[in-house]
This record gives sequence, C-alpha cells and structure tokens, in this order.
Amino acid sequence: MLKDITFGQYFESASIIHKIDPRIKIVLMIAIIVLIFTSGNFFALFLSTFFIITTLLLSKVPFKMYIKNMKAILPVLIFTAIINLFYGEGASLFPDIPVLSHITFEGLYRSVFMALRILLLIFVSSVLTYTTTPNDLTDAIERLLSPLKYLGLKNAVHTLAMMMTIALRFIPTLIEEAEKIMNAQKARGADLESGGLVERVKALIPILIPLLISSVRRASELAEAMECRCYNGGEGKTRLKQMHLKKLDYLCLIVFVFYSFAVILTNIIF
Amino acid sequence: MSILQVKNLTHSYNGNTPFVNDAVSNVSFAVEKGEILGIIGHTGSGKSTLVQHLNGLLKPTDGQILFENEDIWKNPKEIRKIRSKIGLVFQYPEYQLFEETVFSDIAFGPKNMGLSDDELDKRVKEICEIVGVKPEYLQKSPFDLSGGEKRRVAIAGVMAMRPEIIVFDEPTAGLDPKGRDNIIKIIKDYRKAFNATVIIISHSMEDMALLADKLLVMNKGNLEMFDTVDNVFSQGDKLREIGLNVPIVTRVFNKLKALGVDVNENVFTVTDAVNELKRIKAGDGNA
Ligand SMILES: Nc1ncnc2c1ncn2[C@@H]1O[C@H](COP(=O)(O)OP(=O)(O)OP(=O)(O)O)[C@@H](O)[C@H]1O
Ligand SMILES: [Mg+2]
Repeated sequence: MLKDITFGQYFESASIIHKIDPRIKIVLMIAIIVLIFTSGNFFALFLSTFFIITTLLLSKVPFKMYIKNMKAILPVLIFTAIINLFYGEGASLFPDIPVLSHITFEGLYRSVFMALRILLLIFVSSVLTYTTTPNDLTDAIERLLSPLKYLGLKNAVHTLAMMMTIALRFIPTLIEEAEKIMNAQKARGADLESGGLVERVKALIPILIPLLISSVRRASELAEAMECRCYNGGEGKTRLKQMHLKKLDYLCLIVFVFYSFAVILTNIIF
Repeated sequence: MSILQVKNLTHSYNGNTPFVNDAVSNVSFAVEKGEILGIIGHTGSGKSTLVQHLNGLLKPTDGQILFENEDIWKNPKEIRKIRSKIGLVFQYPEYQLFEETVFSDIAFGPKNMGLSDDELDKRVKEICEIVGVKPEYLQKSPFDLSGGEKRRVAIAGVMAMRPEIIVFDEPTAGLDPKGRDNIIKIIKDYRKAFNATVIIISHSMEDMALLADKLLVMNKGNLEMFDTVDNVFSQGDKLREIGLNVPIVTRVFNKLKALGVDVNENVFTVTDAVNELKRIKAGDGNA
C-alpha cells in the first residue's frame, strides 16, 4: 500500500538519456514545458509529441512505467478534457441531442489539445525523474541556483539543496518506518480500515506519534553525526563529484535548438 | 491437536513486478499447544516475513495458516479477532509506544478488543506483575522510562490481550545481559500463567538453548530444519554452512571431544555444562 507511492522514482538503465548532464536535463525540461505551453496549434504540438516520444524510446525505461505515471493523473486529464469539451464556443455539432448539444467543434478541438498538452507535460517530467537519481537532481539544482550567491544568498542555496537531499534520502526510510508501526499497532488490534472519518483520523494517532518521535530522534542523530564530521554549511566545501559538460551534452543542446526553432516556426506560419 | 499449522506457505513481496523473489517459500510446520518454538536463521532468511503471516499481517501468496484447525483467512472480517488470540511483539517494540501514560498504552490492545474499564484495569495490573512494571509507573509517561523499561511496557501491551499464542521477533535485541535474562523470565512467566504457546525469533543461540523446546531453521526462505533443540544443535556443521552456529558452551564441548576428552557433546546451556562437568568429575573419582 504505502510502498506503491513511488518517489524519487529513478529507473536504472544504461541509456544515453541517463548519461546527459542533469543540469542540461533540468534546463531542457523547463524549456520544453515553455514550448508546449506557447504552442498555439496542433502542428507545433505534434512536433513536440514526436520529440518527446523519441526521448521516451531512447530512455530505455519500459513504456508501462510512463503509463503508470499517466494513470495517476488521469482524473485531472479527464476533468480538463470534459470541461473544455462542453464550454467551447461556436456552432453545436449535435444540435438535436440534449446534453451533447453543448459540444462544438471549437470545444472538441480545445479538449483534445489540452489533454495532449497535459499528457506531454507528464511524459517530460517523467523522463527527468526516471533517468536522473534524486541526488543528481538536487545537486544539479544547487548548481543551477548558484548564481544567486552573488545576490548574497550563498548559504541559502546550499542549505536549500542540503535540505532537499536529506528529505529525499529519508522519505523511503520514513515510509518503511510508517509501515512497521502500522503493523505493530494492527497486531495490537488497531482498526485502521473501518469507521467514519472521525474514527479514521483518530486511528492515525497511534501511528503518527511514534513516527514523529522517531523522526525527531533520527534528525537529532543525523545532526550530531554531521557535526562529528565537521559539517558547517556550504562555506569552503568542495565537491566529490564534479560536473563537466561533455560532447553528448552539447549534441543534446544542438538537437534541442533545432527542435525549438521548428516549433517556433510552425507557431508563426500556421 | 496442533494449535497452529502452517501449510505450504509462500510469500513474495512485489507480487507481479519483474523482481520476483520468494521471501518465504513452501514452508510447512505445526506448533503444539504450550510449546516454545524457536526460529533461527541468517539475516534476510525470511523469519520476520514468516511470523507476520501467523496473525494475518501479511497474506500468503500461496498456502494456509490454520489456527485451531481453521484457516485464519476463512473470514477476513474476523482477522482482528485472530490478532488478539495470536499476539505479535515486533523487534524494538518500544518504538510503538504512543499514549500519555503507561497504563493507557498497555490498555490499548485490550481496549481494541472491546473490554470494559474494570476488565482493562484488572488485565493491566495483572500483566504488570508478570513483566515487573511497578504500579507507581502506571501514571508516568512511557517516554520518561529507560530503554529496558519501555521494552517491558511494550511487551505488556501485547500480553494484556492475553493471546493464546505469543510471537516475539528478536525480543532481546539491543539489551544488556541482565535485560536479556529479564525478558526471558517474562516470557517463561507469561507462558506459565496462561498456559500459552510461544514462538520466538532470535539470533542468540544461547537464548534459544535456554528457552526453546523445538527449533525451526530458516535458510534463504526455505525451511532447513524443524526438530528438537538437541537434534538441531548436534548438526553444527550444517548450521555453520548457512551462517549460524551452536551455542558457545557447545563449541567448547565439541572442542574437548575433538581433543580426545570423553565428554557428552549435547551440552547447550551453562547448566548443562555444569552438570556434565560434575558427572565427569564424579566418574573420575570412581575410577
Ligand atoms: N517490506 C518488504 N518489502 C520487500 N521486501 C522485503 C520486505 N521485508 C523483507 N523483505 C525481503 O524479504 C526477505 C526476508 O526478509 P525478512 O525481514 O523476513 O528476514 P529476517 O530473517 O527477518 O532477517 P533479519 O534477521 O535481518 O531480521 C529479505 O530478502 C528482504 O529483503
Ligand atoms: Mg527480522
């Protein structure tokens, strides 16, 4: 049950997408999202679809993993599609049928358009999280934000990145711990599954309190362990893993430039 | 009649993903009423997975658990009733304490069984006597107790449901020698007071020698041996092969035997050793 929540859902495989510098991946993901949102017609969107599908195939992550992520957001997708379907302007497609008379060509067009957009967004972000380890992600974010240090935010950037790293590291531990405690309380006859809302919330107390206590204990242990190893923030800290842009990364950037020009051109022409 | 029967139990975590591995595979055994069964096995051999099936915390991928000849999953809605009859004390149970007072924490289990306040009061006091929690502790916060005291309160929380079978997952882990002896005594006392059946997982062969009537040896999810303590501990080589060993005193007597001293090798506890040495000494005197 709890284990089904995938988080920091890295999928190990030896694809070229895995090898791209995480900074490039993050920047490109943001750029692609912007392109998707500024695409005004289907031709531009189809270009993005083609580009993204190619990336999915290159990532060597089983396609059903992407489908799994899509399923999680399916309600939102359907809701958006339906709203757009019924609130379009223009002439009705089925003037004689009661409810369906609200459907217009405009509405249908927008409905499919929006659905495709959301789908592409999910796929793009999935590629990033499936092919980049959580640690690489936070590391890359720290580096991307590092120009902020010229604004006097030096420590803030490091602290933020460290917080993210620690949080990501402890989420699986917390889930495991929560499951253990749930089992222990169930063994004492706790009823977590039935009853009304109030009972269910009350039933969480025997789980949340031990979980909170153990998190606080873990946090203070971690803090002590870090201090024992002379951790004192980002000051003068050097890196174990250096990140350098390689040929692959430049190639990737060039491909992206062509793709974005194509999208922008289609947007202007059509 | 066996009180508990495990039939062809198989469990695999992550059911239908590509990483299928059976944490427990095709395990069968039976436990008699009033007996103490010890479960030993290398880390990761599936001991904890196995015992979580006994009270229905995990559902078998395949196979059955019979309690008093009835499948515990026969009526899934009644599974909470089974959990009060087959108690399970997890490893480091002190981490599940949560109530404001020791009393209400111990009473949590029995309360879930729907007992009256008078009955709760009676059960808590009775169990405190067995586990050695002083009455003046009952109104304290469980978080103000020492580690060993917390452990005893947590064990009392399961015992207060008065389960007919009580299962312990490494009850003595992380305790000092006195704390360990104390837990062993509590387990024995509970069994005597309620004529209960006990199942214990432990990494301490010494504890097992002191407590168990029978031993079940797990190896990589399979049941390797299921026999009396004597018969299991007399197969030292086989145990060492799967990452286990015999108690230290037994190793001493194995060595003595190998050195040509005429001793009985079936010595598993310090008491056994003393008796054996006395016997030899008496024998020497006669010769
Ligand atoms: N919640 C879980 N999800 C997935 N796999 C698990 C889970 N719990 C245990 N396993 C796996 O099942 C196998 C058996 O684990 P189990 O905890 O039953 O071993 P154990 O004999 O109790 O070990 P230990 O002596 O270390 O407590 C191990 O390979 C473990 O990785
Ligand atoms: Mg275990």
